[in-house]
Amino acid sequence: MSLTALLVDGLTVRFGSFRALDDLSLAIDYGEVRAIIGPNGAGKTTLLDVISGITRPKQGRVLFDGAIDLTGLSEAAIARAGLRRKFQKPSVFEGLSVRQHIAIGADVGFRARLDAPALEDRIGEVLETVGLVDHSNRLAGELSHGQKQWLEIGMVLASDPKVLMLDEPVAGLTDEETERTAALVRALKRPDRAIVVVEHDMDFVERIADRVTVLHEGRTLFEGSMAHVRADAAVVEVYLGR
Amino acid sequence: MNRFGLITHTAPIVHLITLIVLAALLMAGLAGTEFALSRYLANAIGQLAAFAVLAISLDLIWGYLGILSLGHGLFFALGGYLMAMYLLKHSFEITGTVPDFLQFMGWKEFPFYWDGFEFFPYALAAAVVMTTLISGLFGYVSFRSRVGGVYFAIITQALVYVAMLLMFRNDTGFGGNNGMTGFTVLFGWPMGTSGMITALAVASLLVLAGVLAGCNGLVKSRFGALMLATRDDETRLRTMGYETLRLKLIVWCLSALIAMLAGMLYVPQVGIINPRVLSPELSLEIAVWVAIGGRGHLVGAVIGALLVNAVKFWLSFAAPEIWPFILSGLIVLVVLVFPNGLMDLAKFKLVRPMGPKRLASDMGEARP
Amino acid sequence: MNLTRLTAVLAGLLAALLLAPSARAQALDRAGLIANLCGNASAMGEAASVLTGLAMSGDAADRAFAVPLARAVIDRKLACDDAGAVLTENGLDAVTRQPRAAAGEPLTPVLSLKNRATYEQVDAALALRAAPEASQRAAALKTLERRPALIPEGLLEAAAAAEPDAGLKGEIETLAQTAALTAADPAARIRALARIADNPSRRALTQVSALTADPAYAASPEFRAAVDDATVRIGRGIAVGDVLATAYNGLSFASILFMAAIGLAIIFGLMGVINLAQGELIMIGAYVTWLVQQGLRVVAPSLLDWYLVLAIPVAFFVTAAIGIALEASLLRHLYKRPLMSLLATWAVSLFLMNLVRVVFGTQNLQFETPFYVTGGVPVIGDFIFTWNRMFAILFAVVTLALTWGLVRRTPFGLNIRAVTQNRDMAACIGIPTRRVDMMAFGLGSGLAGLAGLALSPIYSVNPQMGQNFIIDAFMVVVLGGVGTIAGTVVAALGIGQINVLIEPLWGAVAAKVIVLLMIIAFLQWRPEGLFAVKGRRK
Repeated sequence: MSLTALLVDGLTVRFGSFRALDDLSLAIDYGEVRAIIGPNGAGKTTLLDVISGITRPKQGRVLFDGAIDLTGLSEAAIARAGLRRKFQKPSVFEGLSVRQHIAIGADVGFRARLDAPALEDRIGEVLETVGLVDHSNRLAGELSHGQKQWLEIGMVLASDPKVLMLDEPVAGLTDEETERTAALVRALKRPDRAIVVVEHDMDFVERIADRVTVLHEGRTLFEGSMAHVRADAAVVEVYLGR
Repeated sequence: MNRFGLITHTAPIVHLITLIVLAALLMAGLAGTEFALSRYLANAIGQLAAFAVLAISLDLIWGYLGILSLGHGLFFALGGYLMAMYLLKHSFEITGTVPDFLQFMGWKEFPFYWDGFEFFPYALAAAVVMTTLISGLFGYVSFRSRVGGVYFAIITQALVYVAMLLMFRNDTGFGGNNGMTGFTVLFGWPMGTSGMITALAVASLLVLAGVLAGCNGLVKSRFGALMLATRDDETRLRTMGYETLRLKLIVWCLSALIAMLAGMLYVPQVGIINPRVLSPELSLEIAVWVAIGGRGHLVGAVIGALLVNAVKFWLSFAAPEIWPFILSGLIVLVVLVFPNGLMDLAKFKLVRPMGPKRLASDMGEARP
Repeated sequence: MNLTRLTAVLAGLLAALLLAPSARAQALDRAGLIANLCGNASAMGEAASVLTGLAMSGDAADRAFAVPLARAVIDRKLACDDAGAVLTENGLDAVTRQPRAAAGEPLTPVLSLKNRATYEQVDAALALRAAPEASQRAAALKTLERRPALIPEGLLEAAAAAEPDAGLKGEIETLAQTAALTAADPAARIRALARIADNPSRRALTQVSALTADPAYAASPEFRAAVDDATVRIGRGIAVGDVLATAYNGLSFASILFMAAIGLAIIFGLMGVINLAQGELIMIGAYVTWLVQQGLRVVAPSLLDWYLVLAIPVAFFVTAAIGIALEASLLRHLYKRPLMSLLATWAVSLFLMNLVRVVFGTQNLQFETPFYVTGGVPVIGDFIFTWNRMFAILFAVVTLALTWGLVRRTPFGLNIRAVTQNRDMAACIGIPTRRVDMMAFGLGSGLAGLAGLALSPIYSVNPQMGQNFIIDAFMVVVLGGVGTIAGTVVAALGIGQINVLIEPLWGAVAAKVIVLLMIIAFLQWRPEGLFAVKGRRK
């Protein structure tokens, strides 16, 4: 296992004449929580789209674990390699129960591979972590917005990912829910796991992130700790404001 | 409740399967007695059962996978035509009846591709292989390029339309616009007798019960949960490591095979097949049965098919010209007032069209 | 052209014999003509040449005067007396055409054997030029056909030019060529060959290539060279004509496809709804056009010819109103459920089709053919630049221009584009998206009505007609991409041309199969259609 979980190298993505990502390079290490911030249209979500295989870049590559180039793989293959993602808009399966979500997340395949007790244990464990034990048999469509966010986190968590990507995990949550989410993200931090968080809530970012990357117009504007970010004149200019 | 935590509605579907099997047994038992059903009624029940099987095949992909096919008549016709080929060849072998289409075309003998169709296992195998090939190929190219939603629906509609134009041609060796008819023998037994009619109806009911049980098992399994997940958010499922292309392809081919089976049951009971089963209208009507019965409920699909077709059978005698008006009225009613069809009615759940809360089963239809 | 014809006329042996110079230049001496008819064999021969001259070039009134004369002589229904002659068929004076009885003991002129054949020919020639009924003219042509060598050179060309019936006109032209090619004089035949090669057609090719079996082909090197040259020129002309005809037919089919698809594409782009009732709106457009025609027949018969133009606003607004009603009552509730909207619009399609069937019956409607969509100009080979197809093409071009202008240059168009691209954002900046939906649905439906109007001069109009266009229109929308006018145009042109290219080779069904397979293959390459806008997942 290399130290670098994700190496983004010279990534360019174009939508028509618009450059969503412009020769972007960055490295994310195992064991860190990396926040990616920036104004709307900076390319944050597009970066996650490329990493998770939804968008094909025009140029560049994304090396996972120092060896696997993700840009040629299917979404499913990338996910099976150990990279999971929570989407910006809560994406859950409205017709399935909470338990089913965790079961699908924990065990990939058209048939179950884990035996029944092991799966039950895993489901219980994950539900405990995201605090949805009491809702395990409810349909996802009936959950509140915050519960959906946690369900989605639980779903991606269930597979024990090496890279966990969270796209705006606290958007639309109450302060208390944000608090709980921050605690959850910190708890998920492990030496063999990289966590990438895209978020606009600066207080939340400050609480969870080890390092922060500021994107602007598809390029890296700044990289460093949150304290340094707040001090950087360019970042203040384009994003944070005075 | 099973171990995936699905809240299962075991009762209605078990009841329905039991009811169908009982009806089949009763029909078989009463055959030849004074309590036997009239030939017309027995035949109608058999045809309705075939339509119910067809409805299940569409519900499987529309209700559970969110893929609407407006061309399922293609697979129904495929089964029907290959069954008709078997019947004609078999009748010719046994009784020497020369099929009408040979006479129409002035041909001396069957074209070479009819070889072997006098053996039922061969005809069945040919139907399975061809249905799998056609549905597999079409499904693969469509799902691979992620064609879905309305696009997929209208391309399947174009597919069935083109197939209809093709079969209307008289030089294809499949009967052209007259189709194929004049079946006299099935498995060595003469057709058209009361016994044969009852036997076909009973067989159709049993196949319906079997298909219903099989599909129920499938949708209640882990695989079924994955089908629903694909319907609700395919990209989400893909980014969790599942090859949804394979899943969709499997279900799509399975659905096509069930539709084919319905066609094979249908043809010996109506005694004719012609290109009109390939008309876009029939394929749209299948979707209407399912919508009226309730998408995503196997019981609903069966009841929808039975009800709509029973009304249609009845009206085709009473007042054939008002049927299209009733059908269009039913569709509008279902679409506006009962989005889940009779399933809403069963729960007395009247939904205001502009109601703020969307139903879970509407989710499969993301905007394109 | 006229010069060669004149030269031919002057040089022609038969023409020189039959064409009395007096008959062409001066006003007709009616009494003198009748006197000659009552005269001896040579006077009757002179009268025959005067009549022939009338058939070829006299004025219409004189020709009408002459029409019954030859027949009367043949049938011995001409009673000559001192005052001139009476047509005994209807008791009219032969000169003045006033009723009178023959005076004294009238004589009936008897034709000599030689003159009889001439008079049969003259009668036929006059009938061909001046008979009111096409069937009479066709019978006259049959008579002339029996002795092609006796037909005056130039008569058939003149008759063909004036013939209104297209089928008969073709027959006359064929006979004209046959007559010229079978002439006795080799020089005349070579001239005829050159003339035929000027107007290449398949018929001409058959005639000319048949001459290779003629004895003169082997005997005369000049004749052989003329035949070979004509064959090559005609062949080339036919090839050019075929290419042009294919392109022209493709263009007109593409125009209809475009008209049928543009409304569908706008609605699909805006709301993600495929309107399965679009075909029925086309049908209703055609029915409204028919109703306008019937209305004009009663109210203003003099304007009848202009019904296609007058129906434009009516067809547009009626179908637009139906579309708006449809949107407001039904589709409005289904925008989040596009698959259900397919079924709902199908229900509407079923309803409209059966309603029209109940009200109007299932038979094809009869349309007047206004002069501006009648006939066409033969260009080269078998390619005829027909006005009805041109009407459809022009109509589509104008519709395209107006639609483009509306979408690109008006505030309403700006709203449509805004809502198409991002509905939520458009709503946020205060665009009344529901209203835009409704108006756009009306626009799309109105365009379908116009499509129905445009195709009514070309295709048969009945309650099922919508079904013939809807699937092709789907294909245009799928190929063109969501809601782009440019995509719709390119896709319509492509599908239209491919259809007409394949059709002559393998038939209409094969054309449809191949187009569908090509579209499915194309979607492998560009799943969003030709002109889709790319963006990230929302």
